[in-house]
Amino acid sequence: MSATTAPMSLDLSGTQRVPMSRLAKVEFRKSLDTRAGFWFTLTILALVAVVMVIYSFAADDTMKDFADYLPIAGGVLGYFVPILIIMLVTSEASQRNGLVTFTLEPQRSRVVIAKFLAGVGLAVCVMIAGFVLAALGTLLGTALGGTGEWSVDGNLVFNGFVLANLIGVFIGFAIAMLIMNTAGAIVGYFAYSLILPIAVGILSALSSGFEKVAPWIEFNTAQMPLFSGDYTPTGEEWAQILVSGTIWLILPLALGIWRLLRIEFK
Amino acid sequence: MIKVEGLTRKYGAFTAVDDVSFVCQPGRVTGFLGPNGAGKTTTMRVMVGLTPATSGRVTIGGHLYHDIPNPGLHVGVLLDASAQHAGRTGREILTLGAKTMGLPESRVDEMLALVSLDKTESNRRLRNYSLGMKQRLGIAHALLGDPSVLILDEPANGLDPAGIRWMRGLLKSYADRGGTVLLSSHLLHEVEQIADEMILIGRGKIVASGTKDELLAGAEHKTSLVTALDNELLAKTLRDRGVTVTPAGSGLRVDTAPVEVGRVSVEHGIVLTDLRSADGGLEDLFLSLTEDTQRDNLSAAGAPAAATTTTEGAKA
Repeated sequence: MSATTAPMSLDLSGTQRVPMSRLAKVEFRKSLDTRAGFWFTLTILALVAVVMVIYSFAADDTMKDFADYLPIAGGVLGYFVPILIIMLVTSEASQRNGLVTFTLEPQRSRVVIAKFLAGVGLAVCVMIAGFVLAALGTLLGTALGGTGEWSVDGNLVFNGFVLANLIGVFIGFAIAMLIMNTAGAIVGYFAYSLILPIAVGILSALSSGFEKVAPWIEFNTAQMPLFSGDYTPTGEEWAQILVSGTIWLILPLALGIWRLLRIEFK
Repeated sequence: MIKVEGLTRKYGAFTAVDDVSFVCQPGRVTGFLGPNGAGKTTTMRVMVGLTPATSGRVTIGGHLYHDIPNPGLHVGVLLDASAQHAGRTGREILTLGAKTMGLPESRVDEMLALVSLDKTESNRRLRNYSLGMKQRLGIAHALLGDPSVLILDEPANGLDPAGIRWMRGLLKSYADRGGTVLLSSHLLHEVEQIADEMILIGRGKIVASGTKDELLAGAEHKTSLVTALDNELLAKTLRDRGVTVTPAGSGLRVDTAPVEVGRVSVEHGIVLTDLRSADGGLEDLFLSLTEDTQRDNLSAAGAPAAATTTTEGAKA
């Protein structure tokens, strides 16, 4: 700033846009720099560890292979990772710091992408930790008399662990973007992941017609082939994942993004 | 530097900001003054792209805020000091800002020192901050990127008298170095002391703008406070002319303009020791201009049309 002849226009030629990598790094930091975010992440991992220990003592000796531990770790993580993502996204509105976030990066779509990348990054970190915990669980199982078989089916690792958790990230992200309120989104997530499958189960039991339709319209049901059997969905099952995924993931996500890009951010 | 052109923002049938236009010059502190709910915050929110305008636009240095890359380096914004995650420490909040803008960590320490938040305070979580501390942190956040434009909504809110004086000095020297400052307030004396230019807004409309002198130039004075060596003689002379005179402290309150009192004093050789207008100050002007947005019991003098001097016309 020069003294007397201050210009009426801003010279922007020397300024670069904030790179996406930096935005994503900041968002990643934001997911862990509050007590809520940090301790929740740690608690999830602690929970995985506790489940591993209990399983090691309780399970049959023939079921203490790495291939047994991994889906358990994946299941626990898959259940809670969406809540991590929900907290990361909705705190902008619930804690109102979005006011600053969207002032420092007025292109809101870039913030959305950065949040998603940070969410995936966080999920990957948690998954690696879950992988390590599953390995430690296997060692403990072996010490307690298990066979300690380390070979695992590639489909189990990818579908039952990686893909399932990535879908969890998507689910959390979609619900958070749609509801944009921490408490509301968590309730929404539990309704989706707990109440909905039960309702579908009851309806399927009552009507065989519904049972055939369910995997096409209910995402939890459609995902089952990813976590069970040979961990390899058939062509039809993939199609069901795609169709129900569009209903439960793509639609709310699109609606949430569409709204965020237009609303007045309070 | 900040140019608001025909800005209107409607919420259904309610018009929060109604065809507002003004300019904030570099090197000057512009005060944005109006009662609660007059549209100050909405105008500022539109400036930084948080609220879409119904019509009209705001440019900062010729650009829409949305188009400014890494805007934190050019425009410092403080809209609501409480709008931060309550669970983050003050230092962490500044660190996130600095990291987003690509600034070194040392900048955070500089800003904390500038706003006098010590090490212990900066490591406390925001929920434990007083309003004044939040305000200081918010100002530090706005200044992080060494911007050339500052947009501050009610920055003096919650600051103690020493803090207000400190902020006044800070913004003055900032403007003296060529920066553009826009700050809003509903407290007249706060703005009066700090702003070079003033924009008065009431019920979404600009009711007056200009420097303090320009604003007061058009005001009519109908009451005077006067003290003479011989108060009784002056009172008698004025009453003979049909002017109402009432004692006020050591002098008199006279229901006529100071110029009339002066004329009487010259004509009758009455020595005055003090003569000034009892009305027509900035406060009266402010209240009269915004009176329809307040309760309807104020009938103070004022001349909105005469007082209006658009800064654009005066400077461009």
